[in-house]
Parts: sequence; structure tokens; C-alpha cells
Amino acid sequence: MRREHAPALPGGIRLQALTKTYGRVSAVDGVDLEVAVGEFVTVVGPSGSGKSTLLRLIAGLEAPDVGGVWIDGLDMSRVPPHRRSVALVFQDYALYPHLTVVENILFGLRVRRVPRAEARRQAGEAAEQLGLADVLDRYPDQLSGGQRQRVALARALVRAPSAYLLDEPLAGLDAQLRLSTRADLLALHRDLGATTVHVTHDQAEAMTLGDRVVIMAGGRIRQAGPPQEVYDRPADTFVAGFLGSPPMNIVPGGGVLGGGAATRVGVRPEDLRVDDDGPIETTLEAVESLGNETILVTRCADGTRLVARAAPRLGLAAGDPVRLCPDPERIHLFDANSGRRV
Amino acid sequence: MTSPRNGTSTGWGFLAPYGVAVVLLIALPAALNIGYAFTDHTGLTRDPQFVGLDNVRRLTEDTFFLDSVAASLFHVTLSVPLRLLAAVGLGLLLAAPRPGGRWYRTAVYLPTVIPDVALAVLFLWVLNPLYGPLNQLLGLFGHSGFNWLADPVTARVGVVLMLLFPIGEGFVVVLAARRMLDGRLYEAAALEGCGPLGRLRRITLPLLAPVLVLLAVRDTVLTLQVNFVPAYILTDGRPANATLYLPVYIFDQAFEFSGFAYAALISIVLMAITAAIIAAQMLTVRRWRVMR
Repeated sequence: MRREHAPALPGGIRLQALTKTYGRVSAVDGVDLEVAVGEFVTVVGPSGSGKSTLLRLIAGLEAPDVGGVWIDGLDMSRVPPHRRSVALVFQDYALYPHLTVVENILFGLRVRRVPRAEARRQAGEAAEQLGLADVLDRYPDQLSGGQRQRVALARALVRAPSAYLLDEPLAGLDAQLRLSTRADLLALHRDLGATTVHVTHDQAEAMTLGDRVVIMAGGRIRQAGPPQEVYDRPADTFVAGFLGSPPMNIVPGGGVLGGGAATRVGVRPEDLRVDDDGPIETTLEAVESLGNETILVTRCADGTRLVARAAPRLGLAAGDPVRLCPDPERIHLFDANSGRRV
Repeated sequence: MTSPRNGTSTGWGFLAPYGVAVVLLIALPAALNIGYAFTDHTGLTRDPQFVGLDNVRRLTEDTFFLDSVAASLFHVTLSVPLRLLAAVGLGLLLAAPRPGGRWYRTAVYLPTVIPDVALAVLFLWVLNPLYGPLNQLLGLFGHSGFNWLADPVTARVGVVLMLLFPIGEGFVVVLAARRMLDGRLYEAAALEGCGPLGRLRRITLPLLAPVLVLLAVRDTVLTLQVNFVPAYILTDGRPANATLYLPVYIFDQAFEFSGFAYAALISIVLMAITAAIIAAQMLTVRRWRVMR
């Protein structure tokens, strides 16, 4: 293991050349990442991209094959999970089904032999903070998904860790609850100001929660940066296609969007304007009305499919001819071979 | 589609063979057994006469019966916890995937498929004071060994030892139950600094509690009955009635001494003892809040 370049970080999390393979599958492949103290970083990627493994490596539940993890400036390579000062909230919460809410929150405190009265006080505070005071004596199977999620957070809270690691904590919630819990999570982060790494496969969650978004695929970090920057300047075609719904239109260079032969050209649906004088002549294949906006799926004469986002109530129907005009400021060029941004 | 009424009758139809068997093979003999307990039925004649509480009076004065109850209680007290401990211990130890694990699991289950008689004959050799491996093993530690089947206490212990091996069913149940527990709970506990013993005490055993209670109850019922074969082959109830367990005494009375009615009464006592022990177990479970 190479650890000779031990960084002198005052706090936060630092990952250096972190690599983990299972047999022939490389789950995490040479990941370098720094999370500053108090920063909220979201890690997003498709299933199997290695984001959960990354979290488990930070927590110490897995040992890296190569590379190291530093937390608060200390090398954690040989430190067992419970000495790492991190709290992990599992995707399915991993609540102890035979213990009540308060016993679940107290579990870690009891293991660490915190005096009974002090433990009760801390558990009470955490429960109060997360609105669980009324359900302290209930068992996990008597709680709603949202309540279970908050118990898992309360359990993390009483650890008073340096960093919170959240593994898709909103995945089990329905859409409406997810929205409100997202806001709760942000408020909690603002209150605590704690370093947080939040793993999700939901790009909207990643964009709205993170100070910084890390996009992973195939065990590697494809891009890391502030949400708007990552959205506006995707580093490669994967990131361009992964972020945004509908995804960016990416067409071969020299086609309807111009560009050189060795490039691929991308434009986001919202940057394609319906314009009677527009240079791109298309035929409408489908019109998806979302109420507040309309998604136009169009086909060019050369077979290229372009998706545009337009205002609602345009009065268009499938089969209608439509002319589109891309915003020249918002055209993205990628190398045709590597897919990297040019 | 069949109407609900038809569906119900079809259900009863499927249940009928089982129901008939239960009535003919269990309920009816049990009712007859209670009736016979108050007669002078020998098992040989056709016309048993009602004798009131004569058999009960005989029971209260029967020192062999008291020996038999003592032997059975000794056995169940020692055997049930040890069998449970072995099944749970080995089940938990071998639940995790490990190299050669399937061979160990097979080895643990194997004695269960060996017929009781064969296992008992094997234990005649194991417990042999002169050339038995058990005494030779004790000899390695400087112990002179026991005359296992000649001493009342060691004879009882010998039977318990033999019945410590056929624990395959309980073992498989624990194995399956342990494998169904969510691995994330253990990871969450590891993050809290909970060690292996803590995880066993705080997670595994509480979550397995319903299974353990079931196994304890089942083993109590079983243990009070399965000591018949080893006692018959190893000791025939001796020495000094030390292994005259209730099933042995019932068999002796019913089929050797033609005391069918008296045996019927003792079998009712055996059932009452079984029920009392299970009731005590259930009360303990409730008092200790073993289960939610």
C-alpha cells in the first residue's frame, strides 16, 4: 500500500488512489477525492458504479486493495470502523428489529458504555431533533418509511461523528416524502455543519443536496464539482448523458449540430429553441406534455433524433414539422474517440 | 371458477385424510388411554373392568415410578440445555461460508440419520470402561475413567452424551435462521464497536429467540421420549433404576408386566410432566421478555 504521501489535512476526508476489486470486478478504481470540513458532497452514478463501495471503504467496512483513507488528517487504513469517527446510514436503515426506537438510538451508546443517564439524555436530544419523541417505544416495523429513516439518522447523530456517510437514505421513500426529507436533510446539515458524503443514484437529489457533486461510473470518478458547473460543463459524454432529464442530445460531429468530424456535439433539450427560422428542420415524433413544459421528440431528415424542451400549450402534434434553433453559447464539443470535453 | 361454497368443500376434502388419521391414530387412542387408566386392563383380555382410582393409589405408593420420574427429570434437565447449546453453537459457528463448511455441516447432521439402535450399540463401545475411547480420552488427561454404565450418575450422563449427537434437526433450523438475519445489522453493530460476543448477545440471540424457544419446547417433548432406545440397549433401566425413564417404565408395565391400564396412567403423567415443563419455559420466556 502506498501511503508515503500522507497529506496534512486539518480535517475532512481524503481518499487517495483508493482501489477495491472483487475477483475480476473493479468496484472502486483509483479514486482520489477530498471532502472539506463541513462540506456536503453527493456521489451519484448508475447501479454498480462503485459509489456504495466507496462509502464502505471510508467507513472501514471494506479494506482497500490499494490507496488510503484519511479522516481528520489521520490515516485510517488500519483503524477499525468504530474508531473512525464516521456514522453510516444504510440504504435500508439496518434498524434492529427487536429493539424499540429509543433502544435503537441507545444501542451504540450502550456498547460504548456511556453512563445510563447521559446516554438517555443524548438519545432524547437526538430523538427530539428528528421529531421522534412520540414514537420512542415503537418497534421499527411499526414505523413509516420516513420515521425509520429518521431513526437511522438519530442513531448516527448520537455518535457525534466527524463525518456522516449516507448510503441512499432517501431511496426507500415515496416521491413526495423524498422531497420533504431532502429539505429536512439539508436543514440538519446546516444545523450540524458536519462533513457529509451522500450516495445516491437520483441525479435530482445529488444536484439539490450537494455543495459538490461527484459523478462515478465503472468505479472511477468521471467528474467532481459544484452542481451547476458539472451540469453546464460536463467533462465527458457519460456525465453529459447522465445528468439532466431528458438527457443531453449528443450527435456525431458534422451532422445537424455542426462540429468537426472528430468530435461529437451535444446540446441540452432546454437549449434547443422552437423557432420558425431555426436552422434544424425536424419532424415531431412525439409530444410529451408535462403540464408546466412540453418535451418534443423530433427526428431530423438524416435520422438524428433531437429532444427539445419547450413551453406548454404549443398546439403541436406528432407528425408536425418543427424547426429548432440551438443556443450557440451552449453547444458542447466532445472528442469522438475519448468522449472527453474538447 | 368454483363457487366459494365448492372451494370450502374442496378444502375439507383435502383435509379429510389427515383429519381421519388424526382421529383414528391420535385422538381415539388418547381417549381410550384415559379410559383404560381407570380400569384393570392387562392388554391381554377383552373385558377390562372399571376400578376407580385404584391405579392412582398404586402410583402414589410406587417407588419405581418415583425413580422413573427422577430419572426422566434428571435427563431432561441436563439433556435439553446441552442439546440446544450444541445445536445453536454449531449452527452459528458453521452458518458463515467457510472452506470445507459443507463437510463440517454434513458431519454434524450425520448422527441424526443413524438409527437410534445403531447409535446405542456404538455407544456401548464408546462407554466401555476397558477399551472404550471415552475412557482412553480421559486417560490422556490423567483421569482413570469411569465405569460408565455401572454407576447410576455416569449411566445417566452416558445416555445424555449419546443423545448429544443426533441434533441435526435443531442444527439445521438454527443454520437456516441465522442465515436469514440481515448482514447489515452486523455491519451497523461493527460501526458501533460491538465485538463478536456483543453481536451474539445483542443481535443474534435476541433475533433467534423465537426459533430457540421453539427448539427448546420441541426438544423437551422429544427428550422425554427418545431416551427409550438408549436406555433399553445400554442399561435396560439399570443401574438402580437410574435410567428407568418414564417411556421405559411405561413399556415395561404395558408389555412385560401386563399392566396396560397402569401404563396408560403413567403415560398421562408423562404428558402432564411434559406440559408442566413447557408451561414453565413459556412463563420464563414471558418473564424474561425473551420475545417481543
